[in-house]
Amino acid sequence: MSLPLIETFSTTSAYLPLVARIADVRPLTQLEKLFTIELPGDLSLKHAPGQFVELSVFGVGEAPFSISSSPSRSNGTFELCVRQAGQVTDALHALGPGDAVGVRGPFGRGFPVRRFRGKDLLFLPGGLGLAPLRSLINQVLDERSNYGRVIILYGARHPSELLFQDELTLWSAREDVEVQVTVDRSDGNWQGHVGVITTLIPEVQLYAPNTVAFTVGPPVMYRFVLVELLGKGIREGNIWLSLERRMKCGIGKCGHCQINHLYTCLDGPCFPYAQIKRLEEAL
Amino acid sequence: MTVSTKPKVAFFDFTGCEGCQLTVIDALQTHADLLSAVEIVQFREAMSERDEDYQIAFIEGSCSRTSDEARLKAIREQAQIVVALGACAHLGGVNALRNWQSSDDVRRYVYGQGGKLYDSHKALPIQAIIRVECFIPGCPIDRNEFVNALKALLQHRLPRLPDYPVCAECKLNENECLFMRGIPCLGSVTRAGCGAICPSFGACCEGCRGLVSDPNIGWLRAVAVEHGLREGGFEAASRLFLSHELMESEGDRHGKH
Amino acid sequence: MNLQVLPKGALVEWIELLSARYRVIGPKRKQEVVQQQPAGDTQQPPREQYIFGELQGAHELELSYPSTILPPKKVFLPQKEELFSFKDNGHQVDLQLDERRTVIFGIHTCDLHAVLLLDQAFSQGAADQHYMARRANTTLVSIECLEPCSENAFCKDMGTWIMPETFDLHLTDLGHEYALEIGSAKGSELLQNLTNIRTATETDYWRFNQVISAKWARFPYRLEADLSELPSLLAISYRSQVWEELGQQCLGCGTCTAVCPTCYCFDVVDEVNFDLTSGKRFRVWDSCQFGQFASVAGGHDFRNSRAARLRHRFYHKFKYQSDSFGLAGCVGCGRCAEACLVNIKPIDVINKLHRKRVAVSGKRQEVMG
Repeated sequence: MSLPLIETFSTTSAYLPLVARIADVRPLTQLEKLFTIELPGDLSLKHAPGQFVELSVFGVGEAPFSISSSPSRSNGTFELCVRQAGQVTDALHALGPGDAVGVRGPFGRGFPVRRFRGKDLLFLPGGLGLAPLRSLINQVLDERSNYGRVIILYGARHPSELLFQDELTLWSAREDVEVQVTVDRSDGNWQGHVGVITTLIPEVQLYAPNTVAFTVGPPVMYRFVLVELLGKGIREGNIWLSLERRMKCGIGKCGHCQINHLYTCLDGPCFPYAQIKRLEEAL
Repeated sequence: MTVSTKPKVAFFDFTGCEGCQLTVIDALQTHADLLSAVEIVQFREAMSERDEDYQIAFIEGSCSRTSDEARLKAIREQAQIVVALGACAHLGGVNALRNWQSSDDVRRYVYGQGGKLYDSHKALPIQAIIRVECFIPGCPIDRNEFVNALKALLQHRLPRLPDYPVCAECKLNENECLFMRGIPCLGSVTRAGCGAICPSFGACCEGCRGLVSDPNIGWLRAVAVEHGLREGGFEAASRLFLSHELMESEGDRHGKH
Repeated sequence: MNLQVLPKGALVEWIELLSARYRVIGPKRKQEVVQQQPAGDTQQPPREQYIFGELQGAHELELSYPSTILPPKKVFLPQKEELFSFKDNGHQVDLQLDERRTVIFGIHTCDLHAVLLLDQAFSQGAADQHYMARRANTTLVSIECLEPCSENAFCKDMGTWIMPETFDLHLTDLGHEYALEIGSAKGSELLQNLTNIRTATETDYWRFNQVISAKWARFPYRLEADLSELPSLLAISYRSQVWEELGQQCLGCGTCTAVCPTCYCFDVVDEVNFDLTSGKRFRVWDSCQFGQFASVAGGHDFRNSRAARLRHRFYHKFKYQSDSFGLAGCVGCGRCAEACLVNIKPIDVINKLHRKRVAVSGKRQEVMG
């Protein structure tokens, strides 16, 4: 039986990464690539959607990434969608299949979606926020009958920045999934909706008491999305967010990810809005 | 990540004392493996061979003559990465002290009657003339920082400078604050990375690594006065290395550049 | 309580005995480097400064030191420590755990309380084995403070001026002798082969009790609010103007967190060799007072002013850690106040917040009355 990764190394050092191998690299946009990471032996990550790993490029450093693949589809591998935005991600983008990376995790609290069986699920990813929500969406789709409606409202800045376009097409083609995509700025070829993600929300007919929303995006997006969702009557405890911080250790020691008294790496990164709404440093 | 061929590196000197180049030579003595990682094709201070085919240019010294500008631009044309080596290239250095006076006065004072024959102007950091990817601060540079910066460049990334003050490193060394001995020190507004070498040896920080991005100069001035530094003494001390930075921020405040 | 008595002269023998089996660390004088400054300037001679360092013998041990520049946390959490080394692009990694047997002499009770707090932080949840390895192999010899070490210390307010229930070996200065309390098996191990030690007589107990009782009057309370009130005082002070004022003043130098016995935030950095395939990963001290500490990859800084960062430090010390560990995050040692160039002192800050609250509730009573 394979053990969750964290249990296999915690007897030696919580900071010692497990050496894993890049199995595949797929460019998604100009800035983002999807990395498939293969764990050694018969280990599996056993993560929950919304959790993150610490990924090392040895000699450059380590950074936290939310897991983009669904646990229901892992086969000794997992996927990370990585935007080139700093030292570690620059170095990662220079790596290819066969190269070694270090893995620690999975860390943090994911989205407790199974608490919401029978509910209507509303997903609102903004930009790179689709990376963690893709994990959750695919898990939900793999156990589709457990849930009510599945609505995905995805916003990106520009058509060229849309992630997982093949999957968006697959989801849109399904009769049991409602998908709407918008971009802030159009290009000549874009036929779809133009406008920020919040412009999609008023159009959607929801039965608020039965709806749970999952939204991941930049801080500025949260402020506006929250206003819309609360305005629709969705309960504060039924709006879930994932907060981005620079978790250095992943185990509540290094202090970098603190949001007032909370540690994003332990108490989050997924939070119900009700838990963080009074925390000044959260959004 | 493997580097197929060794990157070619060249060193250039402009207005400065060549002390940073000496520190590089010193680093070469203690890091013999450095030479297995790069090929040095031009280094006047250390060798007579000279090749104009290079990818990384380390530039020491400030730009203080019109003729320097053309030479800097030529280096920029050739190099993929330009590194400002030391306080003169990074900040204008001690040379920028002359920027507080008119260039005419300075030339007359230094060269007498022949002053007009020289094309010297204000001492400027090389970034005022050309794009610079990487900075190795200090007077002189810290050899470990040089070695680590070179390693980062070999990894195809830009080294990151600390953006916290020298005080932080001074405390890690468990030094008594020099202010407690009545010695004014610029450590609390100066960018760390030197390991607080001066205060650790009982000498005040003179700001050779430049200001942190959010320096609290106003309160440090008050601290200096409180500890007995005469009025104006703080300004004098901070001009040694920070003249250009201070004049620039002064300029920004008055809406010009 | 089983009290032992050791003549002060026996320290030489004791430390010699221990040095054969342990790395022995204790408070000693810091040798400051003094440079000749130009004539007529304001320079004064260095003050006596103390640091925890490895002892070459009892002659270096300064048990009546007031305080040290850095607290003993540096023994368990060094300023820079190797976590592991790697070769072949990471295909081979070698863990580095420091398991040297160590004794730390002369830890004041405030610092002992602080170590217990660090123990909690590093052992709860996923344990930090690098800290735990050092901690497990270290025995602490604490010493009772009989005088306040500075006007910045408020250990009596924080309840750390007396020893915690958990300790290894505790010394109390009785004049020509030390009284020794044994708190753990690790502590009693240190007394092996020590010939000069004896069990306390009734007279010794009497002297010991005299010394401890005399402490009370010598240590002042310096906070105007009680320890138990601090979390609630902070809870209502989040938007206080005090933080903005202090933020103007703060140099952002991180001295306060470096010298703090309970601060443990860190950064992790890699250093690579010139082959670019081998190197080491290090942990280094970091500070929540630095800009960028709470920033993310996109550049957004979630605590982007000195005021916000300073407030975070006070909240972490006086509220968040109390909330999560049930122990105040500050032990009142006064080092941060002593070291702050712009005189940001916890005593003043707390008292200012407290006075503001009293003034407000006073007004409210007038209106209600």
